[in-house]
Amino acid sequence: MKASYRWLKELVPTLNASPSEVADKLTFAGLEIEGVSEFGAGAEQCIVVAVVAIEPHPTKSGLRLVTVDRGGATQQVVCGAPNVPDPGGLVVLAPLGAYLPAKDLTIAPRAIAGVTSEGMLCSESELGLSDESDGILILPAGTAAPGTKLADAVPGTRDTIYDINVLPNRPDALGHVGIARDVAALYGIPFAWPSTGEVARTSDVATTSLASITVEDPERCPHYGAAGAVDVTIGASPLWLKLRLQALGVRSISNVVDITNFVMLEYGHPMHAFDLDRVRPAGKPAVVVRRARDGEAVKTLDGVERKMIADDLLICDGEGPVAIAGVMGGGDSEISGGTKRVLFECACFDPRSVRRTARRQGMHTESSHRFERGVDVADVARVLDRAVALTTTLAGGAATRGRLHVQGSRAEGEPSPVARKVLRFEGKSVEAVTGVAVPFAESVAVLQRLGCELDNATANACDVHLPTHRHDLGREVDLVDEILRFHGIDKVPAQLPAIRASRDVGGREELIRRAKETCATLGLSEAITFSFTAVKSLEHLWAPPPAVVLENPMSENQAVLRTTLLVGLLDAVKNARRHGERDVRQFTTGPVFLAPSADVLPTERTRLAVALAGDRTGWLEKPKPLDVWDLKGYAEEIVRRLSGFAPAIVAASREDAPRHLHPRGAAFVELGGQRVGSMGPLHPDAVDALDLDGQVFVLEIELDGFAAGAAVPRFTAIPRFPASSRDIALVVKDGISAGEVEATVRAAAGPLAEAVRLFDRFVGGQVPAGHTSLAFRVVYRSTDKTLTDAEVDKAHANVVATASSQFGATLRA
Amino acid sequence: MAAEIDIDRALTDLRTGVGARFEACTTEQALRDENAKIQGKKGELTAILDLLGKAPPAERKAIGQRVNGIKQEVVAAFESALSALRKKERQAELDAPPFDLSLPARLPVAEPGHRHPISLVREDVVNVFRQLGFAVFDGPEVDHEVNNFGKLGYPPDHPATDMQDTFWTKVTGDTRALLRSHTSNIQIRAMSTMKPPMAFIAPGTVYRRDDDATHSPMFHQIEAFLVDRNVTLAHLKGVLSEFAERIYGPNTPVRLRPSYFPFVEPGAEVDIGCVFCKQPDGTRKGCNMCKHTGWIEILGCGMIHPVVFENCGIDPKEWSGFALGMGLERIAILKYGIPNIKLLFENDPRFLNQF
Repeated sequence: MKASYRWLKELVPTLNASPSEVADKLTFAGLEIEGVSEFGAGAEQCIVVAVVAIEPHPTKSGLRLVTVDRGGATQQVVCGAPNVPDPGGLVVLAPLGAYLPAKDLTIAPRAIAGVTSEGMLCSESELGLSDESDGILILPAGTAAPGTKLADAVPGTRDTIYDINVLPNRPDALGHVGIARDVAALYGIPFAWPSTGEVARTSDVATTSLASITVEDPERCPHYGAAGAVDVTIGASPLWLKLRLQALGVRSISNVVDITNFVMLEYGHPMHAFDLDRVRPAGKPAVVVRRARDGEAVKTLDGVERKMIADDLLICDGEGPVAIAGVMGGGDSEISGGTKRVLFECACFDPRSVRRTARRQGMHTESSHRFERGVDVADVARVLDRAVALTTTLAGGAATRGRLHVQGSRAEGEPSPVARKVLRFEGKSVEAVTGVAVPFAESVAVLQRLGCELDNATANACDVHLPTHRHDLGREVDLVDEILRFHGIDKVPAQLPAIRASRDVGGREELIRRAKETCATLGLSEAITFSFTAVKSLEHLWAPPPAVVLENPMSENQAVLRTTLLVGLLDAVKNARRHGERDVRQFTTGPVFLAPSADVLPTERTRLAVALAGDRTGWLEKPKPLDVWDLKGYAEEIVRRLSGFAPAIVAASREDAPRHLHPRGAAFVELGGQRVGSMGPLHPDAVDALDLDGQVFVLEIELDGFAAGAAVPRFTAIPRFPASSRDIALVVKDGISAGEVEATVRAAAGPLAEAVRLFDRFVGGQVPAGHTSLAFRVVYRSTDKTLTDAEVDKAHANVVATASSQFGATLRA
Repeated sequence: MAAEIDIDRALTDLRTGVGARFEACTTEQALRDENAKIQGKKGELTAILDLLGKAPPAERKAIGQRVNGIKQEVVAAFESALSALRKKERQAELDAPPFDLSLPARLPVAEPGHRHPISLVREDVVNVFRQLGFAVFDGPEVDHEVNNFGKLGYPPDHPATDMQDTFWTKVTGDTRALLRSHTSNIQIRAMSTMKPPMAFIAPGTVYRRDDDATHSPMFHQIEAFLVDRNVTLAHLKGVLSEFAERIYGPNTPVRLRPSYFPFVEPGAEVDIGCVFCKQPDGTRKGCNMCKHTGWIEILGCGMIHPVVFENCGIDPKEWSGFALGMGLERIAILKYGIPNIKLLFENDPRFLNQF
């Protein structure tokens, strides 16, 4: 909401505070000033001058030499404007040295086609008074004596404009009256209603005879007020009105249209003006407020033909729609240059209905903005009177007799009184909510300044009759909020409460924190990935179909919620590679959204996913590509740290391998026989489909099972006796896994074997084709004595015998 | 005439032979070489085209059309052979013997990984509130409308929802489900299931339909709320001051500005003294980050509205409380000087490596 300081000052006549003081005061009273701009800053340095003589430019047609009287002295300036008035006319001169901020121009002597001009006659746009202008500004005769500073001659050329962030609870502040009420209350000085002014002339014609008004849906239009004026002359608005509107960013159109906008900006109540002679049927105009028919078309002022539905409210004349109620008018019955008879509408529409219609139509207008939030239902008469009075002053003509207020089945000249809501206010509530004791007298004074009326008062409580323009006040705590606003929220002390501590519910935050810390420690960087994805991306990974489909996604790529974390993570890999970063070691955590079980809400399961791509880091050796055993290392270590137990990495058979994984390396991560995740190289088809440009290794783990924390390690005694170790190298047929051989070795080594470790794997050389050499170190130790060589040899001999008989393994020298 | 016959014969030979010649290739390179022999600069088809010049002008058009037809056949045969070859290679790759996953794993950590800046500030904030006695309450990201709006006091169609343009889901059921637009759904869930007193925080992911240089459709918030007997705005200010000093350093002033959120009354926005232009004497000289005001807005807060208590079955005459909520992206952006919110969600290694 743009607001004019000058206007506020008119409504709070004794206001002395400067524009910036008022801005601060309003901000700390909940009307946040988001920006302050100076309107007509150039007006301070320009002066009113009278044209004395006009001569043609000696060489250039289109330019003229204008002699002006600047109050006691004359000077000649070169002017290119076509509309220089005849001698005697008043125009505005920017003298030498004047700075015009709107054009970022400082006036200096300038030779124009050979003639030096020491000043410039200004247009409205050069003065910063409007966005565009046609020729120079001509002031009405008698505005001021030549030589007067423009800002003094025409005060409206100078203003401070606030950009106020009016929050949805304060529709009253969408008009200057509402803001001024707060200003007056904040400074404790009187607020002055805008004058309804004198109605210059009243006609014999009764307003009720102008048109028949029917409201078919009083629920959505509880109050339709009308007033009229006849014999008006449509023309330009006077300078003060044009400047007032332009200062607030509203284009001046014509006197009557400008009046409706002016009154809206004043009261915050949108209104509409009809050209009665264009309201059909001719001679017997009718206004009908009714619901639209499904599919009914309305052409609005912006030239768009809109299809309506039965939920929309229309303003119609006797033959068809002329406006979408509360949102926008249609072109047909608008005020035009030839309008003679005007019907003013000031209505109240159901906020929710206006909001739905505006949303459906994708429209947001000054009118819908205010009606959606709720206008003051008690100001209809005042608004109509104001508009009519202004019209008789600015557009000639005469007011028609009386107003018409249609409220349900009632149609009268005066509106029915609006019932005011009553709340009980107790002085002690202020301290109970805010921690600040505000004297009861101060509290009630604030409420009164805001327009509340009090009765049934005791020493510390009273009944509060709420003003009709403040729908946001509904409970006692709202009154406390108002009192706090005016008392000063900065007066609230900071007081640390004695908090009775709670305990975590759910435990996911700590779980995720541990998972993230673990991954970072292990060399993985954390990606934060979107929960949204495209259906196609899930399909490329053969992930479960989405359980959550968005009704209003922002794009196809964010149409559903993920059922695997890999989508976002692989996006990160793809982006990195597109930027030339080949090596990616990232993880992400978060929920996947799976089909609901009992609830309508999806099942959210917390997972951790890892993606590895590119080369292993290190500087000692040449970089080598990462492989499945790197991935296995991460899988084992992450699960071990989260659960306290080493998981088993179980190769998946071709039949049950997850489809997104390469069958050569697909595996499950299992803990105590329970599947907790899957891992492997990404399937080459997925690599191609997701455009990953090379192999990526992926791991996805279910985290929820680890919420209880890692198992606590139990101490085991540190060995007191030395160990002996024996190595054994076995050449086994391909296809026999190292794990199998290791298990056999371990079993055969018997109870004295403390550890069995593969320390070498070799293919080629003397090892026959189709075979692999595996070398194990077996560590033997007893907990109660030092083992003799003979004891160790005996145990180890069994290893050699068993392994060779079981696998046909041969010992390698 | 002779030229025509020659061309004709050459074309026929080429046409009958090309399929078999391509299929005989067992590697992509061999196939490409074979193709070059036909379509390359010195290839057979190119040679035939050269002969075309010698044909009688009247027949050139007809022959030219034939040559083109056959050229297309060759291209098709090449493409089909190539795709068959690739398919075969892909199948061979898939059929290759499995990796022996029972071999010991490798876990070389040459350098530690990097935490995401949002996670880092999230942990900082969670820690401060934990130290003050708050605990974390978990809740879902997809929730019922009633938990996100209804019980928080948003009337249906109320303009306050203008501030929250929400993602709705097609999950069917009695109530409409949405992607939560703030972490305040946790306030409702906690207060609907537990009895006061309670002191909880709810860190989490939230969603709004906004996407530009300063908004991401997915972002993060932390909400904190305290419900007990006799909780006042002064207590809220106390917690905020403590929070500001612990997160932004000693002597970080806090100020409240009245504001409006449907679920609190009174409601306020909170500014802290600008952390970028703080002077050694504790004053702020103003800078671009604070738009020369010396203050930076960091969060919204207020006293929990009695309607919210009633909606959750808690008696507002007996209990009172406050709630505050902040966006983590904003805190991270301010803390690390990140110029654009988009950087936080691209996961570029060159970005992540900086934290």
